[in-house]
Amino acid sequence: MSGPADAVTRGALQSVLAAVDAASYGYGVAGAHLPAARRPAAQRDWAELQVARDGLVSMLASRGVPAPAARDAYRLPFPVHNAAAAISLAGYLQNRLAAAYLRVVALDDPALRAWGARQAQACAVRATGWLDRTVAFPGLSARAAGPVPEGSATDVSARPSASP
Amino acid sequence: MRADLRRRSVLAAAGAAVPLLAAGCKGVGGLGTLPRPRPDVAVLRAAIGTEQALIARYRSALAASPGLKDTLDPVLDQHLAHLAALRSRLIGPAATPHPARTSPPAASTLGALAAAEQAAAGALVSQLATASPSLAQLLASISASEASHAALLRMHRSTS
Repeated sequence: MSGPADAVTRGALQSVLAAVDAASYGYGVAGAHLPAARRPAAQRDWAELQVARDGLVSMLASRGVPAPAARDAYRLPFPVHNAAAAISLAGYLQNRLAAAYLRVVALDDPALRAWGARQAQACAVRATGWLDRTVAFPGLSARAAGPVPEGSATDVSARPSASP
Repeated sequence: MRADLRRRSVLAAAGAAVPLLAAGCKGVGGLGTLPRPRPDVAVLRAAIGTEQALIARYRSALAASPGLKDTLDPVLDQHLAHLAALRSRLIGPAATPHPARTSPPAASTLGALAAAEQAAAGALVSQLATASPSLAQLLASISASEASHAALLRMHRSTS
């Protein structure tokens, strides 16, 4: 449980956990500005994030890695002071989460690949529920969708804009 | 006489060539197996074929129901982007057009298109195991896009 491949796997899972924690925080901010009609969807997404967190903590524990605690606060990608911005934030967070799951898809383990892909699908579906539109490459930047050197997964890493 | 000499030397050369050939075979064997198409090529061809079939379905649906243009045009554009991204990774002759495995149905309802998207999304996930890491990420992203297309089409079907 200490080879380079294991370290890459742990890093990918930790990235997903960081993105899940950032999204949980973001939903808390968005929830305060969402119209009542959209709050049940936000609560559903938030509950799914907690389930995802529990699962990731277990996956890391089975690899002998303690899960880091969530940060107290995260920097938001844009100011959120109204319903439109809150809805945009929910869609944005799901796309960031999809990006983190795509790191898992780059691992060698076929089961983890399939799992990461299904999670990325769920993120894209949730983002579409918020934004009422779809994108061609959820979780990938336009540049990363083109030809890239093998193993260059840095374009899709999830950095949850954490503030110290 | 000269012809005979020549024939003999040819025969000698042929005889000498046999061990050389045998050694050559060993030499090639020593280098490893001959190059074969990478698994990515087969996966890419399958994914390209699926995209082409989906594009044909959307064009057919748009021709039959121009009123769906606002809903279907952005989705069609995204499939064209998928196709371009997949083709850019295929070095060599462009993939042959997808055979009319499923001829586009005359009336592609939103529900039928959603089902086709969901099937395509699932098929891509089953192709990930043999793909290179970066191709696996692209396929998974396209698969996520297609799953979201299915969701969008179902949303619009229920509101229209």
